[in-house]
Amino acid sequence: MSLRDNAIVAYAETKVMEKSDRDVFVLGGEILEELLDKTGIEKSEIDGLVLAGLTGTGAGNPFWAQTTADVLGLDVGFCEQVHTGGCSAAGCVVRAAAAIDYGLCDVALLLFADTHVLEDKSDHSHTYRREWTDPYGLMGPPGAFGLLSRAYEAKYGLDYRMLGKIAVTQRNHALLNENACEKLRVPITVDDYLNSRVIADPIRLLDCVMRADGAAGLIMMSRQRAKQKGLSKCIIPIGYAERTNFKGGENLVDVTKSGHEVCGRKALGEAGLGIKDIASFHPYDDFIIAIMLQFEAFGFCKAGEGVQFIRDHDFSFNGDLPLNTGGGQISAGQAACSSHNLIEAVRQLRGEAGKRQVKNTKNALVTGIGWINYGRNWGSSAALVLIPE
Amino acid sequence: MQSNISIFLNRTRQKKLLIQYCKKTGKYQHFPRPVSIFTGRRRDIEWREVSGKGVVFSYTIAQRGTPAFRGIEPYAVVSVTLDVGVNFIANIVHCTGAELKVGMKVKPYWHPLDDGTHLLMFQPDRDGA
Repeated sequence: MSLRDNAIVAYAETKVMEKSDRDVFVLGGEILEELLDKTGIEKSEIDGLVLAGLTGTGAGNPFWAQTTADVLGLDVGFCEQVHTGGCSAAGCVVRAAAAIDYGLCDVALLLFADTHVLEDKSDHSHTYRREWTDPYGLMGPPGAFGLLSRAYEAKYGLDYRMLGKIAVTQRNHALLNENACEKLRVPITVDDYLNSRVIADPIRLLDCVMRADGAAGLIMMSRQRAKQKGLSKCIIPIGYAERTNFKGGENLVDVTKSGHEVCGRKALGEAGLGIKDIASFHPYDDFIIAIMLQFEAFGFCKAGEGVQFIRDHDFSFNGDLPLNTGGGQISAGQAACSSHNLIEAVRQLRGEAGKRQVKNTKNALVTGIGWINYGRNWGSSAALVLIPE
Repeated sequence: MQSNISIFLNRTRQKKLLIQYCKKTGKYQHFPRPVSIFTGRRRDIEWREVSGKGVVFSYTIAQRGTPAFRGIEPYAVVSVTLDVGVNFIANIVHCTGAELKVGMKVKPYWHPLDDGTHLLMFQPDRDGA
């Protein structure tokens, strides 16, 4: 058994909300119902529950996964919460596959429900922040990405208009995505990007992801079981890798490099693909520059050539390298435990993306970015390659 | 309870900067950890007093402050590569926005706090060789 013997057989997603009007478990229930309806499986067949640890609402509850199982009436042999920050959604896929391979469960519900705007219980106080950056007023992720952007700019130079091009492309995709947060479904131009309010210079408002509420989910099982059940349009994970605390045993590191370098090589190697074979790219986007850094880390272009790569390519859903075709988190809203880009990739590979459907559905590369460490780039990186059955 | 932060802060009373040093590998590390990040061992760590001189590795100007800093924006946060090879994040003072550049030489500025300790900040090292 291996990763590729497993299948994502269904996805579900709520609309992203500026602030949820429903309890987080109500959202979870909506996802469960939709997944059962789509697959025709009975609730009693679900014997695995895998949650993303990236939850503001569940953050204060050490029994969050069990509580969720209880609320939804699930009786499971595998109950797991994946704690790799923004890599958790992709990380859930491989952990569910591993659990299925090992025989811990046969049918897994991957649930990404969070209402971190309505109810945020997260607490970052027991980290370096309290002692080493809060006294200086460094504002969490925007501050860290401000430092990262300036370091990149000093090393390679940076044409912010090209970051604006990415912002506009993603926004155009959100306009075509009815599940994107309504507040963000407003057209923008490169000048709007450049002129947006500066938060942590050079990070502007339109560089930043906006927290929002929502839920999504997947059902996974072995390919063999999916076939027996007659489930069609399955999506197969064929390569995965993650890296937490990349170069954590070194002190002074090049902040323009991330764990994606090693993840990309490993995941693409497992998939038997080269980076030029990637048909659509769904990179984690908390800040626009993170997308450019991933072009470099995954080898779409060389280090320092991200700006030129952006200039040379069309990232629209109908362009030569479709990018975050649902709007990305930056234009759809950072909701549902940051699963948006994964769900969109699954939707695209099933050919169900409607007005924004990509032509080439041979494969999709989904990535994750985890938390922010002290004076580096980011703490976790992940890469997941998907293909249609 | 004696913690890394209390050891560090106590020495700032005399405007002295302590950085952790790994005796085994001869390398410094910051922020302070319970073990050497190079060897994983507690016993390899010692504190060393360093000059606090360095160069600006990167900087960001906060136009929107964190809650405690609201109303005093804009202010600069710098990441400084100290001459012992660690990056230290802090504020910079006595420096205009136009003057602030990656690579500029800086030295410590000790901002006094009510409890007698000092908060390490940086200022341009205009005499620096």
